[in-house]
Amino acid sequence: MLLKLALKRIAGNGWRSVFNILILFLVLMGMLFIQGMYDGWMRTARRQKEEWEIGAGHFEHSNYDKYDSFTFKDSFAKIPDHIQELIRQNEVVPILVFSGVLYPQGRMTPISIKGIPWDQALLKIPSQMLRVKDEYPGSLPTVIGQDMARTNGLSQGDLVSMRFKDARGVFNAYDIEIVKVMATPVSSIDESQVWIDFTVLNSLVALQNSATLFILKDEATQLNLGSNWRYISQKKSLEDVLAMMKADQAGGYVVIALLLFLAMIAIFDTQILAVFKRRKEIGTLIALGMTRRQIIRLFTYEGCLYMVFGTILTAILGLPLFIHLGTKGIPLPQELSNLNVGGFSETMKSYYDPLTILFMLIMVFVLTLFASWLPAAKIARMKATQALRGKV
Amino acid sequence: MKEPLVKIRDLSKLYPTGGGGFLALSELDLDIPAGAFMALVGPSGSGKTTLLNIIGTLDSQTGGEIEVLGHKVDTLDARQSAALRAEKIGFIFQSYNLLPVYNVYENVELPLLLLKMDKAERHEAVMQALKWVGITDKMKSRPNQLSGGEGQRVSIARAMVKRPKLVLADEPTANLDTENSVNILDTMLQINEETGTTFIFATHDQKVIDYMKRVVTLIDGKKAKDDLKTGN
Ligand SMILES: Nc1ncnc2c1ncn2[C@@H]1O[C@H](COP(=O)(O)OP(=O)(O)OP(=O)(O)O)[C@@H](O)[C@H]1O
Ligand SMILES: [Mg+2]
Repeated sequence: MLLKLALKRIAGNGWRSVFNILILFLVLMGMLFIQGMYDGWMRTARRQKEEWEIGAGHFEHSNYDKYDSFTFKDSFAKIPDHIQELIRQNEVVPILVFSGVLYPQGRMTPISIKGIPWDQALLKIPSQMLRVKDEYPGSLPTVIGQDMARTNGLSQGDLVSMRFKDARGVFNAYDIEIVKVMATPVSSIDESQVWIDFTVLNSLVALQNSATLFILKDEATQLNLGSNWRYISQKKSLEDVLAMMKADQAGGYVVIALLLFLAMIAIFDTQILAVFKRRKEIGTLIALGMTRRQIIRLFTYEGCLYMVFGTILTAILGLPLFIHLGTKGIPLPQELSNLNVGGFSETMKSYYDPLTILFMLIMVFVLTLFASWLPAAKIARMKATQALRGKV
Repeated sequence: MKEPLVKIRDLSKLYPTGGGGFLALSELDLDIPAGAFMALVGPSGSGKTTLLNIIGTLDSQTGGEIEVLGHKVDTLDARQSAALRAEKIGFIFQSYNLLPVYNVYENVELPLLLLKMDKAERHEAVMQALKWVGITDKMKSRPNQLSGGEGQRVSIARAMVKRPKLVLADEPTANLDTENSVNILDTMLQINEETGTTFIFATHDQKVIDYMKRVVTLIDGKKAKDDLKTGN
């Protein structure tokens, strides 16, 4: 009965109802859009990091600290024989990391030199270009990332000299040729580093078949490496990415909060700004024999029904849009993808997690419930005779 | 003798105000039998609305006793008084108090929804009530599309639709011209005579007073006169 009366109220409110429902619709759309984009971005960023850098997980030498280049000279070991087979099968990719210095245009730039087998097919790094065909090449083919290229003014075809200490501590120098500037969205394989062939780097630093890292194709692969190695799961590697994104999401939450606020205003407006109008209405309803509980329920239902209609409208009108965003995505302007932030690739695809959507709907619903209940409860507590004296 | 519909003994109402409160009603004794068609008259501030509100269980007295339809008003809890109003008491207000978001039909139907009457029965009763007040043709209109006379007729229909025992009308003609006033008074008198419904008015309006079978005059919250008219 009350539900029916509430429905009729909404029908009777005409344009005002339409306006309220539209606002709730926009709020829901906005929230879903932001959340979907954020989740999509996060997934893309994780996938990219997996494809370019960390695989399904990796082992690193226990001395290795990627933030401290002084550790590099002690953080490698000979690849055990049983792993060679896995490397051949492309199940594992070994990477050797050394530190060095580059002299682009005479300026000194400290770098990490990373060796990756040219024939690996696990990571997206274009390692085929690193293949050295001559036994004593005049310069070493090197791949760098776009950030590295930009900050040092390097481009494809450039020759730069590179100095480094080998494993025995002897200084050595070599010319490298930038054979490719790779467009990688993962800055942690890009900034301040050059990629050369794994075997070539080994011989440059007077080693053989030694590696700092083993990247795994399959999480379940057992390497039995012993205590000199430490396993870093994919989840752990992603932690810093996630932390960064959490910070970015805070911005998204502000927008979501603003949108929610807007929704509350829409409900409140109908429910509370009209207090004086409502006073007399509520007085009349009391005179007609409604209990306070019934009156509160009536106005609460009214508020919630707006929400229900807003949700239905969102489902009908929003679904095609969100499906499009989730499957086709929206192309990013060139400037943005040039920023080279993790997860920003050419097209942004949103991602919708049913649980997240449910959670957001429940949140909006609870807030709506509260926003419609509160003013009604306040007014209905008034004495009937007083309420009746209110102006129309 | 039959118990009166409303039985008032030594009733008083003290409004709490700054200096010790304001005594709006005092030493009031009144019996209103079923089928009455009567008015409370008196100068502004004499307590007419206050008494009507207490009879209508919207308020309660601060002294004395009042029984309405067999219930002591001050012993009813909110739920019971709401039920009593929903079932047996109709209100007619000076400014009609129609609910603006509902149309005429829905306004009249509302009291029946509260009584959980089924749809067919409801429809019949609403149509009957609209017919009584002669406003069937406007049943899809919104209250703001009605003239004053039409609005008040809808509010009479709303009060009558549940066939209440008692109808309370506070200044029902104050916003109406003579023609419309006479019109609705005719309607109410007719309903009173056909159904035996008790009507209690509060009014200053001589046109209303002329229609009454009984007129109780209040002055400063006390009963000053109680005239039973004959020949009407
Ligand atoms: N809530 C209240 N608090 C304090 N005083 C009140 C309250 N309600 C009414 N009064 C006072 O009680 C007195 C009687 O008021 P009431 O409304 O019953 O008069 P009335 O006879 O209906 O007058 P009118 O003809 O102007 O409608 C008035 O003096 C009024 O100021
Ligand atoms: Mg009055």
